Amino acid sequence: MTRLRYIATVLLGWLLAWATPVWANTGTMLRDDQLRAAASATAPVLAPVARGTNVEVLARQGGWTQIRAGGRTGWVRMLSVRTSDTAQRDVGGELAGVIGMGTRQADPGRVVAVAGVRGLTLTEQVLKEARFNAQELERLERYAVSRAEAQAFAREGGLVARAVDYIPAPAQARRQSSPWEESQW
Amino acid sequence: MVSKPLLLALLAVASLAHATDLNRTLRDVLFGRPPVTTQPAPSAMGTAPQQAPQSQQTTQTQTERRPRTAELLGGLLSLVGEPPQTLEEERNIGRTVAGSLLGAVPLVRDDELQRYVNRVGRWLALQSERPDLNWHFGVLDTEDINAFAMPGGYIFVTKGLYRQLNSEAELAGVLGHEIGHVIRKHHLRMMQKSRALADLGAAVGRRMEGGSPIAANFMGNFWEAFARGLDKETEYEADRIGMVLAARAGYDAYGLPTVLQAIGHVSANDSRVAFLFKTHPHPDDRFATLSEAVGSRLDNLPEGKTLSNRFYRLR
Repeated sequence: MTRLRYIATVLLGWLLAWATPVWANTGTMLRDDQLRAAASATAPVLAPVARGTNVEVLARQGGWTQIRAGGRTGWVRMLSVRTSDTAQRDVGGELAGVIGMGTRQADPGRVVAVAGVRGLTLTEQVLKEARFNAQELERLERYAVSRAEAQAFAREGGLVARAVDYIPAPAQARRQSSPWEESQW
Repeated sequence: MVSKPLLLALLAVASLAHATDLNRTLRDVLFGRPPVTTQPAPSAMGTAPQQAPQSQQTTQTQTERRPRTAELLGGLLSLVGEPPQTLEEERNIGRTVAGSLLGAVPLVRDDELQRYVNRVGRWLALQSERPDLNWHFGVLDTEDINAFAMPGGYIFVTKGLYRQLNSEAELAGVLGHEIGHVIRKHHLRMMQKSRALADLGAAVGRRMEGGSPIAANFMGNFWEAFARGLDKETEYEADRIGMVLAARAGYDAYGLPTVLQAIGHVSANDSRVAFLFKTHPHPDDRFATLSEAVGSRLDNLPEGKTLSNRFYRLR
């Protein structure tokens, strides 16, 4: 009897855990930012949003995330919001249904059961014991792509190269420049 | 299969030194003999005599006791300065490590997938300061969530990580991070910190024998250091490079932080992320550090492409 109830509770827990992403996208502000009317730094500021504020995450466009906070909807920098566990998208998507559940929960029996499906897990020991595989290395090297092929591939996708400077480390950002972060780009 | 430039280079070295024993010739060129004045064939073993500016200074005064000097220099270089490996040595170390990794886990048997990843990877690498390295990209057949960069331009993404991706821009961010490790020689620097590892690596770099005892010994030490992980700052640096290379390549620059968010949501108890979490700062910390570094710097960057429709989905 108690066992049945236990199973029911666990099942309900799973259902809730895996169903939430569909409708509850939440996040927390990592830093102070400003809520803007559109996904652009030049868009009018609606209100400041302080670090630590819990927000609802609605959408993303480039470097901007649309949120709802304090009854207002607007855009903040994508990197200003940390999405919570269930937010943004169903992490692992197709995995969740097949093997994710077994491996996520503290249920040793299941983990063993799915070990075959998961294949090899890389550990220091596995890597140390590995024998050099020349055939597989040759296979890898056969896939090499030339400069011209890469450029054609980029053109097909409408990708255009652009100049963007390397970004210095946060602590260095305050200094004038760092010799190894400089770039002519 | 030996590549054509490599063969040409070997021939060049052999003819320069007028010797029959190739192995000894290479060793001589590296340590024993006075540097040859002729400019050797570009981009290969022939460049060994002038492998680092530091070693050039001493070659003037020293000819007879070169091995000693080289050892001494190796020790000094392991403390400061650029990794001493020539391009060819770097490649050979990379091949040895990549072949060992592939001995542990094979490539996914999907030619289209592997070609796709190589196209995206090569286009990204073209935006870096080492565009013409022998870049190789591969998807490993494991559900582990991880990615690896080896010296010389060998880069791997696991199938488990690939499953987490939803667009070409996200793949670009991941590959860009790994390219960052290669262009800044992070693993060669890691090797420099251990004298034994550096010495073995030098031997491996000179020889090319993946299955030799020296290579096996090197691999043991290498994976041990590898499993300790690079230092945190190095990972954060690769994250910044990953975003920048994706942006330069015309992609949405925010693919990498999007992936970091997704991986950050995988439970730390999940064995798929055990090795990744052991060797890297937590994805949440990486995201937060990127946030701090980027600030408003990319505000004026026009939105790039995500190319989610072209993204190759696993079968």
